[in-house]
Amino acid sequence: MKKRRERIDRGIKVRAGDVFALCSWREVLYLAGPKLLPIIGCLILPLLLNAYWQKVFLSVAVFALLAISWDLLAQTGMISLGQALFYGMGAYVSGILNHYWGLHPFITIPVAAILGGIICTLLLLPVLRLRGIYFSMVTLIIPLMLVRLIEATRIFGGTEGLSGMTPLPSKWLELYLIVLVLLCALFGFRRMLSSDFGLVLKGINDNDRSVMNAGINIYLFKTQALFIASAIGAFTGAFMTHVYMFVGMPVFALDYSILPIAAAIVGGPGSLAGATLGAFILVPLSEILRGIGGLRIVFYGLFLVVFIVALPEGIFHYIQRKYHRFERWVEVD
Amino acid sequence: MFLGTVVYAVINSVILMLMAIGFNLTFGISGVANFAHGALYILSAYVSWMLLNMLGLPFFISALFSILITTLVGALMYRFVLIRVRGQVLSEVIATFGIGLAILELFRYLGFVGFEYTLPVFIDTSFFVAGVYVDMQRILIVVLGAVLVFGLWLFTHHTSLGLAFRGIAQDERTALTLGIDTDWIATLSVSLGAGLAALAATIIIPLGSISPGEGYDVLIKALAVCIIGGLGSTGGVIVASFIIGFAERFTDSYISSHWTMIVSLAAILIVLTMKPSGLFGKQKELEERI
Amino acid sequence: MNRFVVLLSIMAVTIFSFVTPGTNSYAAEPIIIAVPTSLGFLEGKESHRAVQMAVTEINAKGGVTVGGVKRPFKVAAIDIRDAARGVPVTEALLGLEKIILEKKPAAIVVGPFRSEALMAGMDIIAKYKVPMLGTIAMSPGSEKKLKGDPEKYKYVFRTCLNAVHLVKYLAGTMALINKEFGFNKVYVMHQDVAWARATAGFVKKVYFDKAGWEIVGLEAYPTGTSDFSSGLMKARAKGAQVIMPIFDMPQSGILVKQWKTMRVPAIMTGFISPLAGSGAWKIFDKKIGGAINNIFELGSAIDSAKVPQSKIFYDKYKRTYGKALQAGHGPAPSYESVYILAEAIERAGSLDPDAIVAELEKTDRNGVMGRVRYDEGHQAIFGFDPKETAVSTVFQWTKTGKRVIVFPASIAEGKIELPPGLKSLK
Repeated sequence: MKKRRERIDRGIKVRAGDVFALCSWREVLYLAGPKLLPIIGCLILPLLLNAYWQKVFLSVAVFALLAISWDLLAQTGMISLGQALFYGMGAYVSGILNHYWGLHPFITIPVAAILGGIICTLLLLPVLRLRGIYFSMVTLIIPLMLVRLIEATRIFGGTEGLSGMTPLPSKWLELYLIVLVLLCALFGFRRMLSSDFGLVLKGINDNDRSVMNAGINIYLFKTQALFIASAIGAFTGAFMTHVYMFVGMPVFALDYSILPIAAAIVGGPGSLAGATLGAFILVPLSEILRGIGGLRIVFYGLFLVVFIVALPEGIFHYIQRKYHRFERWVEVD
Repeated sequence: MFLGTVVYAVINSVILMLMAIGFNLTFGISGVANFAHGALYILSAYVSWMLLNMLGLPFFISALFSILITTLVGALMYRFVLIRVRGQVLSEVIATFGIGLAILELFRYLGFVGFEYTLPVFIDTSFFVAGVYVDMQRILIVVLGAVLVFGLWLFTHHTSLGLAFRGIAQDERTALTLGIDTDWIATLSVSLGAGLAALAATIIIPLGSISPGEGYDVLIKALAVCIIGGLGSTGGVIVASFIIGFAERFTDSYISSHWTMIVSLAAILIVLTMKPSGLFGKQKELEERI
Repeated sequence: MNRFVVLLSIMAVTIFSFVTPGTNSYAAEPIIIAVPTSLGFLEGKESHRAVQMAVTEINAKGGVTVGGVKRPFKVAAIDIRDAARGVPVTEALLGLEKIILEKKPAAIVVGPFRSEALMAGMDIIAKYKVPMLGTIAMSPGSEKKLKGDPEKYKYVFRTCLNAVHLVKYLAGTMALINKEFGFNKVYVMHQDVAWARATAGFVKKVYFDKAGWEIVGLEAYPTGTSDFSSGLMKARAKGAQVIMPIFDMPQSGILVKQWKTMRVPAIMTGFISPLAGSGAWKIFDKKIGGAINNIFELGSAIDSAKVPQSKIFYDKYKRTYGKALQAGHGPAPSYESVYILAEAIERAGSLDPDAIVAELEKTDRNGVMGRVRYDEGHQAIFGFDPKETAVSTVFQWTKTGKRVIVFPASIAEGKIELPPGLKSLK
């Protein structure tokens, strides 16, 4: 007698499928819960944490945004190995604006997000014409080379960097600004990806030649996706510049490239929520593991390999499946 | 001074070529971009250091062993990890990158940092060439580079295995119909790439020291050479490494040493805007494999 | 599903087995000394050990008397990785902040590795008011920052050599070479980081320009450079008699190797970190005879019979850890800092940071490095006589693999000898 496993939608999912879901609190909660949980969680969490974990929360949010930006690119078929480029570019633009012209953070952060996005897009524009591995190679290499450019020319503070940036007016503003941006990015871009625009982006990833056959200029769409992703990255860099009141060569460090990828892979590539979830797991974990020093980076590496090979769907998709469906063993005749 | 710079520029170019050729070969044959290349380079150096200093084996035997071990690691990496994600470029890149990261950071964590981690030179003399002293090790590097390029050419053009390599590089499915086991060939290509990284490490490391950071540098240098030369093209690698190698040494001599590091960045940006697939890139924009 | 759970739990178990919560119970509540630095690097590792050695010694005597109670010291170390290339300063600062918040240390010893991290970290130190006795980062920028706002940054002290004092030593050695051999053509090669750049610039300004030396070349090398042939060719072509290197990266050992194989007829006088320890002779295949190098503080990797404490410290370290000190920078001041701190706490009679700082400012201690006092920038004063100030040492590798101290005169053991191929002009 053989058995097989069968997956069936939960009753509540079926019941909540149409407008009559509004009749029952349980069903409304079932539908709204997955969205409300992160919103409420993000809004309340900063109040419960002590000063140190609030700092960690900031980096969680920053890495979540970088992971979202990575996933957005990956869904368009561009695998970036250099989120640090976006992060660093934003950090330097806002740092320069603040240091040399004394502009207020409320001006430098949005300007840096947009200007940084434009510069990164222009830098990577030539590679967009190529498929496959070139994009990864070039994104990996450019931030590491930019570091050397700054080191060699000694522009913008050289190896010492620029310090003494204007901080944001209050700690709570810092926390809630980044939470707000994170939630907007998460839900906004999720919506965008399910719109027609997002469909084209995903189409480019699946089969770019068919998209071209449909008379769509894929380079235009790729450029737009790249700009959006790099603007998010640049925003995080600009934001952190004002939090740490410092910008220097380390903003192009490999950490900013690796952690977002790890977060997206662990959380579940192909969904922005997965990328966010990954950051919310990995960054605090890495803080707890700080005691083991350099070994945690070894773990990142192994995490990447294990998840990509054994669990390519990631944690988010697993949870999502469990939420909507249940499994049971049935006999095979 | 000028001739001396030329001599050292040639040496520098050959070093770059040795670093890049393994990466390029693997990609050219099986399409796997092995981002663990730098880590394998460092791994082999540490393995031979450990055999040499902990087990007390003679240098040539430990070097030979370390090359064999690294080759084996490359094969195992393909068999156990890459084969499951073959053809998905995202997964290949991330998996190899993860492996490389784990290897390098493990060595850093274990405290393998410092100048005592180095390998001995093969023969310790120096010659007076073109107005400068050049040591035997650097001359050996140039000789080995030339032999290696010639050997690879012979291998890929005149042996059946080499022809099989080129076969799957050109069209994997057709190669399959002709009875070439593509998985086996791809395994060989990754392990051959790893072996070449190990060989490069064995001969280049005696000039300096082994450190985890060097692993990232080697990967970056290999990538830079491949981007400029065009992925998968051996001719491109040779030309590109000579371009970067000469540019670096001449900037060092005639402009200033702190500009050397950004020569390759400039070269990459120029090549990308002029010819995005690299100087000798065979891939057309949309025909590229992945 | 099962595979998923099993994999996750395996991962969790492996990770948490590495996290070892170390809770020891003491009779009296221990005073925590935090050591946040790059523990993976030689200087950081040996400094950490030196701190531990001092703490063990103090605890063996019963500890430190605070308000009538004897309390032991306890070391809490964290690897902030700031010396590794490409690690963000922010990441290093998070480590610093973490150890302050979680271990609540009474003071910090050793501290950040890179001056860049120290400068940025000063704000955190000021925020949490934890006295810090730095022993590795060297840029004088931190004193400038301290003098700019002494009330805010007064918690930061530095027991090790800084770039300004290093300059005095380099200039002194150059003056000695000039006097003995009449050389006056120098080729300067330095690493492109804050402290080395500052040092090279100062030596030029303070000594070379005034003493009529000709600087035939000045090259800055990015961290990680692995080929110095062009620089050495230039030094040779321009007839330099002295090469002054200032490097603290492991790759700088390549410079020594290339200097030897390219047979550049110039004496190598400066600072190259891999050349400092006694182990360098073997590492460089016995081919560094003639090179003159600086050991930043007496006691770190070298001892002098003229300062008995340095010999006791050097030998004790060797006995305790089975290997002689190799780091030319860090261990001795780290060891001293613990004693300086213990004395200051006893004098202050409390753990109040402001009281400790006030007492630290009055420090006057005869120890491993000579006599330690702090100036108004909270920098230990270095001079040429161990009875008056702390001292640094300049030594030369002999042809037989011994290290002979040649400068300063108060502790010198021998005279500078020229490498073959280089003739004295006198």
